[in-house]
Amino acid sequence: MKVVGITTQQEVYVGSKERNFRINEFLIIEDPYQGDLIGEVVEAQSYNKYMPLSMHGELADSSVINSLKAIGYNIEEDTIYIAKIRLLNEALYPIESGSDVRIPSFEEVKDLMIRSAADEGLVLGIIKNTDQMAENMDEEYKDLLYTFEEGKLKKQRDIPYIFDIKSMHQYPHIGVFGGSGSGKSFGLRVILEELMELNIPTLVLDPHFEMDFSQISPYLPKEKAKDYKDRFKCLQVGHHVGVRFEDLSRSDIKNLLGASSPLTDAMSNVVDILFRGRESYNSFYNRLKMLAEAQEEGSLDRIQRRIDESANDLDREGWQKRKELFLNYDKTCPYSSVRGIIWRLTRLENEGIFSKDIRPIEEGLHMGKLIVVQGSTRILQVFSTYLLNNLYHKRRDYKDAQYKNTTAEYFPPFIVVTDEAHNFAPKGYEPPSKSILKEISQEGRKYGAFLILATQRPTLLDETITAQLNTKFIFRTVRASDIETIKEETDITVEEARRLPYLRTGDVFISEASLGRTIFARIRAANTTSPHRENPFEELRNKLMEDDNKFLQVIQDKLPINGDDFINVIKEIEKETGETYPITLFEEKLEDLVEKGLLKKKKTPFFNIYTK
Amino acid sequence: MYNVNEELKEKIINLNKLLLDKYREIFSLDGTTLRNFIQREIGEVKKINRLSQEELSHITKKGGLLGVDGSNNRVGGAYPHFVEIYQALAKSTIHANEPIYKTDFYSPLCPENENRDNLENPLEEDQSIRSKKLSAIEVEVALEGVRRFKPYAVIMDGSLIRYDIECYDRWQELREECEEKNIILIGVIKDIKTYIIGDLLVKNGLLSKRELFYDRELLYGLLEYGEIIEISAGVTKKAQEGFASLFMRSSKAPSVIGMDILDSQREYLEEMARLVLTLTPQDGRGVPLWIDIVDREVRITDQLIRGLLESYLDREILEKLFISERDKRTL
Repeated sequence: MKVVGITTQQEVYVGSKERNFRINEFLIIEDPYQGDLIGEVVEAQSYNKYMPLSMHGELADSSVINSLKAIGYNIEEDTIYIAKIRLLNEALYPIESGSDVRIPSFEEVKDLMIRSAADEGLVLGIIKNTDQMAENMDEEYKDLLYTFEEGKLKKQRDIPYIFDIKSMHQYPHIGVFGGSGSGKSFGLRVILEELMELNIPTLVLDPHFEMDFSQISPYLPKEKAKDYKDRFKCLQVGHHVGVRFEDLSRSDIKNLLGASSPLTDAMSNVVDILFRGRESYNSFYNRLKMLAEAQEEGSLDRIQRRIDESANDLDREGWQKRKELFLNYDKTCPYSSVRGIIWRLTRLENEGIFSKDIRPIEEGLHMGKLIVVQGSTRILQVFSTYLLNNLYHKRRDYKDAQYKNTTAEYFPPFIVVTDEAHNFAPKGYEPPSKSILKEISQEGRKYGAFLILATQRPTLLDETITAQLNTKFIFRTVRASDIETIKEETDITVEEARRLPYLRTGDVFISEASLGRTIFARIRAANTTSPHRENPFEELRNKLMEDDNKFLQVIQDKLPINGDDFINVIKEIEKETGETYPITLFEEKLEDLVEKGLLKKKKTPFFNIYTK
Repeated sequence: MYNVNEELKEKIINLNKLLLDKYREIFSLDGTTLRNFIQREIGEVKKINRLSQEELSHITKKGGLLGVDGSNNRVGGAYPHFVEIYQALAKSTIHANEPIYKTDFYSPLCPENENRDNLENPLEEDQSIRSKKLSAIEVEVALEGVRRFKPYAVIMDGSLIRYDIECYDRWQELREECEEKNIILIGVIKDIKTYIIGDLLVKNGLLSKRELFYDRELLYGLLEYGEIIEISAGVTKKAQEGFASLFMRSSKAPSVIGMDILDSQREYLEEMARLVLTLTPQDGRGVPLWIDIVDREVRITDQLIRGLLESYLDREILEKLFISERDKRTL
């Protein structure tokens, strides 16, 4: 391998007659004047001067090439391999043409490849095409993980990619980008597994109900299987966790009400006027309700008549109160806005948000657990706004108190993780969840609150937030607009951007600000599997088979069944199992089983007989 | 749009008319008639097949092929201010890693060529020296290749008769060496320049005009892929010099190539024709790939030559003697 052609301080071409180059492989150039320089292959080509690509010229056909081979000359031996190499650090002078090039040893690249000990960082995968250097690698980096390639589990042969979690202190926040099926969710799962491994308090917003870590991957060898059962907790909004209404401030409640669609000025005004803060849900709800009822009466006279006609004291008192509300608020709170607030409030209540609080989440974080908050996207938008504000300010208060030398209750640093992040912090409009995410993205570093945001549409993610994502995992991306965004937001090269649409599932470019360059890696096999792994079409088939078997068992000892005897058989079945079938359905089911070859049917002049 | 000079246009139209007039008779000749004439007067038209894998491996066992080709590059302007560089290469299919190169140069300005002011026609003399120099190194590499590799056959690029004329002594040496060691020696001619058929047509009164018609014009499109015409000894001058020749269509392209072989090795004529056919891409120009490969290796780019001259000639010499005004033109 030698440096050929015109060279610059940044890039050289290397040619070889024997060895083909692999993209992203590292090579050392032995410049006689500048010493050893390390570079990465960014383009690889092979060329045979006797087999030119020509549309209308002659093409050496295979019979001629074979004939030449038969008389002793193998044209393929004249193939040359060319690689474009980009130096990791710019050289002082252009590289000397003709310099020798060799494969580096592990020691020479260790500092470039490995930034953290295996037990202190996130072991996320392997750095691709590093197997040659991995041969004399330290034992502590060997056998850390498995990869999954072409449907088979493979032992680690390359240098591991270990994300230095401590570097997040200077370079906070991670973005995970990639189209559907690119391995993005799966990469996120691996990141979360590693966070659990290190007992880092983590909050996951999971709109897909997929971040469950209780199922251990069936493909892993038994002794390598890891159990995360005690390290994570799935909590559903409205079921396990919710908002304590009494804790809500005026802006909190406005955020909550405005989560699904923004509040109108009038509605916002209604909340400002009617909500007193630190009150119960019922007290606020009743106030709204009574005002609305009074407004429905239409005029003071009619409310007065209601008071006068009241049958008992309780009623009278009620209407008296409505009259007061009417007098105080009718002018400032239009009826339609009051109604709107009531609708939105009852909807939240029905979803159970106000029946629980966030204590389980706080407790979990204190214990260094991974807390998965599940709910529909809309609910999560509502809830996360409240939740993140709450947690972030707890942490912030603690740190601020530390700076000011006062005391505050301890709250641990934590990481917030979400898939479909463009729903929580979209570009172009302002849902309430965006402002808190923006705040964390800009200031979280100071307080030890970090974000890991995954999305398949980086273009739709708020730009201020994207700019704060110091590390980016970029999986296969096909959309041109997203590739453009990625090019703008990362240090990915033109050649790498060109490869984005063709990446294999699980292959990823990792652009780290702390490194200043892009690493091509493959995510390791996950230790756990998503609960949604079953193919829906297989599920259908299995369900059908299960139904058939159940029915077969039910009729097993009734066989043979005569066609004129359905009534009696059905009665017997009903007696035994409590299940009953209409005659037509029963016959249909039998026919179905005959068609599938599970039963046989004999025809007689009068009726059919079903047998085994 | 280009401005077309009216007169230029007229001239070209006139040229077309002249050529049409000359060739009308030839172009209107019936294919079968011509083929019959050739069968009768020139030689048999035969269909040949490619060599089989066994036959090819037989060739390998006997030493493979040696391909020989040469190239020349010229730097400078008009006579005598130029220098020409020649390079010849012999490359064996089996020992492809040991190419044999020889180089030479020629410039009319060199002292050895000086005393020619008294010659009648220095330019013609000059032309012949140049061809001789190239032929000589081609024969030399062939000779060395024959001695070193003992190939089964040697394929030279171009007609063998050229060497006979241009460097008789060395050629005889090569010829004897080959005959003695039973090495087959052939030449493959991409551009045939003979006029055997046209001559005979005129002699036999089949054409009214007594003009010169070249074989390539007459044979264009006449043969099918894989057909050869063995030229009978009586009709070609080459026979007197000790060569046998044939025409063949070696690819799907309608043009025809020629092949020479030593008279003493005439028995191998058909086998060698089949070898050439085997090594020629069907969709190509009709040249065996091995010759193309050797040709490509031996060629030197003008840039490389210029670079060499600029590095190793004194600047003064280069500027004064070999840089023509033409080279400095930028427009």
